[in-house]
Amino acid sequence: MDTIANLAHGFAVALSFDNLLFALIGALIGTAIGVLPGIGPVATISLLLPITFGQPATTAIIMLAGIYYGAQYGGSTTAILLNLPGEISSVVTTLEGYKMARNGRAGAALATSAIGSFFAGTVATILVAASGPLLTQVALSFGPADYFSLMLLGLIISAVLAQGSVLKSVAMVVLGVALGLVGTDVQTGQQRFTFGIPELSDGIGFVSVAMGMFGIAEIILNLEKPEARSVLKTKVGSLWLTKEEWRRATPAVLRGTVVGSVLGILPGGGAALAAFGAYMMERKVSKGRHMFGQGAIEGVAGPEAANNAAAQTSFIPLLTLGIPANAVMALMVGALIIQGIQPGPRMVEAQPDLFWGLIASMWIGNLMLLVINLPMIGMWVKLLQVPYKFLYPSILVFCCIGVYSLNNNVFDVYMTVLFAIFGYMCNKLKMEPAPLLIGFVLGPMMEEHLRRAMLLSRGDPMVFLERPISASMLAIGAIALGAMMLPNLRKGKEAAMAG
Amino acid sequence: MKLNAKDIAAGTFLILLAAVGLWLNQDHSLGTARRMGPGYMPMLVFWIQMGLGGIVLLYAFFNGPDPLEKWTGIETGTLALGVIAGTIAWKVAPVFGEFFASTYNAIGVGMLVGFLVICFAAGWRLIGYICAAMCVFALLLEKGGLMLALVGTIVVSALAEPEHRQRPLGVLGMTIFLLALCWWIFIKQLDIRVAVWPQF
Amino acid sequence: MRYAGPDPGRPMSSILPRRAVLAGGATLALPAAVRAQGGPQGAGGGSWPTQPIRLVVPFAPGGTTDIVARLLSQGLQERLGQTVIVENRPGAGATVGSLAVAQAAPDGHTLVVSNIASHGIAPTLYRGLRYDAVRDFTHVALVVENPSVFVANPRFPAQTLPEVARLAREDARGIDIASSGSGSSNHLLIVQFGQATGARVNHVPYRGAGPAMTDVIAGVVPMMSDSLPSAAGHLRGGAVRAVAISAATRHPAFPAVPTFREQGVDLVSGSWFGLSGPAGLPPAVTDRLARAVAALLADPAARARLAELGGTPGNLGPQDYAAFVAAEVARWAPVVQASGAQVD
Repeated sequence: MDTIANLAHGFAVALSFDNLLFALIGALIGTAIGVLPGIGPVATISLLLPITFGQPATTAIIMLAGIYYGAQYGGSTTAILLNLPGEISSVVTTLEGYKMARNGRAGAALATSAIGSFFAGTVATILVAASGPLLTQVALSFGPADYFSLMLLGLIISAVLAQGSVLKSVAMVVLGVALGLVGTDVQTGQQRFTFGIPELSDGIGFVSVAMGMFGIAEIILNLEKPEARSVLKTKVGSLWLTKEEWRRATPAVLRGTVVGSVLGILPGGGAALAAFGAYMMERKVSKGRHMFGQGAIEGVAGPEAANNAAAQTSFIPLLTLGIPANAVMALMVGALIIQGIQPGPRMVEAQPDLFWGLIASMWIGNLMLLVINLPMIGMWVKLLQVPYKFLYPSILVFCCIGVYSLNNNVFDVYMTVLFAIFGYMCNKLKMEPAPLLIGFVLGPMMEEHLRRAMLLSRGDPMVFLERPISASMLAIGAIALGAMMLPNLRKGKEAAMAG
Repeated sequence: MKLNAKDIAAGTFLILLAAVGLWLNQDHSLGTARRMGPGYMPMLVFWIQMGLGGIVLLYAFFNGPDPLEKWTGIETGTLALGVIAGTIAWKVAPVFGEFFASTYNAIGVGMLVGFLVICFAAGWRLIGYICAAMCVFALLLEKGGLMLALVGTIVVSALAEPEHRQRPLGVLGMTIFLLALCWWIFIKQLDIRVAVWPQF
Repeated sequence: MRYAGPDPGRPMSSILPRRAVLAGGATLALPAAVRAQGGPQGAGGGSWPTQPIRLVVPFAPGGTTDIVARLLSQGLQERLGQTVIVENRPGAGATVGSLAVAQAAPDGHTLVVSNIASHGIAPTLYRGLRYDAVRDFTHVALVVENPSVFVANPRFPAQTLPEVARLAREDARGIDIASSGSGSSNHLLIVQFGQATGARVNHVPYRGAGPAMTDVIAGVVPMMSDSLPSAAGHLRGGAVRAVAISAATRHPAFPAVPTFREQGVDLVSGSWFGLSGPAGLPPAVTDRLARAVAALLADPAARARLAELGGTPGNLGPQDYAAFVAAEVARWAPVVQASGAQVD
């Protein structure tokens, strides 16, 4: 078969000494920046671009790709241990992963994350190799109306998946969308809700919102409950998964891989939706669904597999069309062009070394990450044995430096302070921060697609129902919302009757 | 009583924020459904938010009781005082020289003063010190250098934990360790572009 | 005293490792090949440059401006004997990064890739712009010019510009044409095309050229106005078809693509990128920079790379480039006003 011959060629390229070495360097750098709050793959890759000029194109891209997926691994570490999500995909990991860590299962959560990511990465790599060009057609069949409906579905899902009242979660999603409105309007270039502050012209920074509402607010809440802190430092438990945990995590990884592989192909919102989609699915179908909110292993396994699968398949639009699906991919395009390679539909034929070498190295890189990360679990878990009174100033300091270094601007630090207060307030009012974040990320894209769809249909809203993809997304969303609202309404009504 | 005080507060907050948003949105043209202006989506979003806030508020009268933690007199008092003191400090700061005249430094001073004032109330002490610590970092970083900023942040944040106040030696040890660690990671390895030592 | 940042008082540098490795297991030593990339250090004669030069790119990494800047930084680094660091400061239509440079110390250590968006269109587009594109800068040299190109989905029936215009007049719905953003030079070309031919054009703005190109390839939007460097790969790959190029003459890299003029539409337009510093740059520094750019642009390897991208090396020195920028501001003002785009 062609694919196998090509893959063999790819492995021959990827297994050369230089390429192996740089895949390892990339994976290590990626893991490290993933662990550090605030410093993400976009900043790191743009810093390292000049270094790659002197290397052959394939080696350069292999290293940059290593940073990208290495950061996904590292990001889940802080999400699980410290409730610090560095990226939208690890926001979901905090929900169950941090709870698991509090229950003394941090080791199991980290192991699940690493193994789940590796498995998903393997499957997604095969998928990219076998049917990349075919999958491109799927991505191309999504028009603006379909994207809008997909994102609307994503928002509904994220509201439904939240703990507590669905109503308040929907409100938080909407609030997130509202926060996402701040900044320059894409269609007209007008500044909205920026109060003349130039730093807000590109919107409120995601890291400020995530760090403030999760990381810093969590510190304050932990300090308020002395008993919670002592639990944190005494219970560590076994590092490895129990038989029961294996049984529950395996199907979740499988489902997460499917969800992530499919959604990762879609440029833009796909990768962000993958983890949320997988979490929602586990909440609905997994055997441990009654344990969600208290540290269910399925809630770590599914989303972690999904976000890694999505990270791999998001290379498909880049490699087959030359179109970047996100900011990291845009940097890869830049790196390729500087190397004298025009990314485009002909890249598979014109640059077989690059294309197949990269695919093979993705798998090798994932294997390296697994090997790097599994032995480190013991070390990470030890971190939790550090008394909290020493741990919290360290988290605070790392957050401050990380947030500052995003734009080298103290403005971001003050923004984080504001969102810490807001996150603290939300906690006191039992409002969930996770739905707000997904609304914040998807809102701007949703607006863009809505306006574009209406522009192209000349103002006819029927376009959302006429297109089959869009219509089915909307139908699923309506059903999901209805199914979740009904018991809630009933409960409210019963309460009203009883009162 | 079935009053859910948390939901009442949440609903009111949502409605107020939506009202402010709608008011601000008057500056933006709505456009038409075909070519939506910059104000179209905000209008939709804020009306939905207001509606949801209203429903949350409505249900809050039936699905309780879920009371809020009671604020003591001193907590209410210091909060008001903190806001006033912070605002004054923000407006007055530029008098004290060029450094405080820059926009964010003046705001930072205001926030720092506000947070320190609310620390007088036991209930606000944690949030006050943690936020104040971050403000100290932002204020000290660019002129005082990374090391000084770290010391300030660690010491102020340590005030939040009673055990640290009894044992200052532990704080000293932690400070030295964190200074070394941050220097190694951020300066030695990552080489982020900040001043390390004070700039005068 | 250690002073890692060029000017810590300004909130504009980004994290820039000179030895850019954070080793997760710090045991891993980087091969010499990587370390050697730090750039030649030390004396290049004269007192300037005494420290690394920051070249601000007012756009996100990965775009055409970024690529131009990276080529420029490599070339300047070799010729000035000092590290040139590319720093991305995107935001508000390239005006955030440009403003930061306008306000920087004119010592030759902070430069900007001036371009049509920040220095040609923004002065009219942004009513509240806080810099003067001509007076607040010392313009050093025009580096690259490149034309725009109208591309179409291969299945789109109209083959030539007159056919496009006729289709747009006949169809009551008009014709959809995408661009990389509202107020971009590509958008303005669409506006000019509509004015010149009376075609009913429905402009569809995107967040960058990438997503717009995706929708043209997918057939969501039949046509797009794109700058040649970003369209070149897709044209060569056959994913889209070129309808017209906005240069005065046919482009050597794409000789089969006719110009707008050839097709009866008198439009010559394009984007440009240059090197500028804050106003009041010492003449000696300006001069040395201009010569370094000229030498870089004379280098066959650099010319070849630029040609591959669809660009033409610019050959304007300090005075000519300053005059060019002033002319561009005046030239685009009426077009921006006609486009209806306006930012407060």
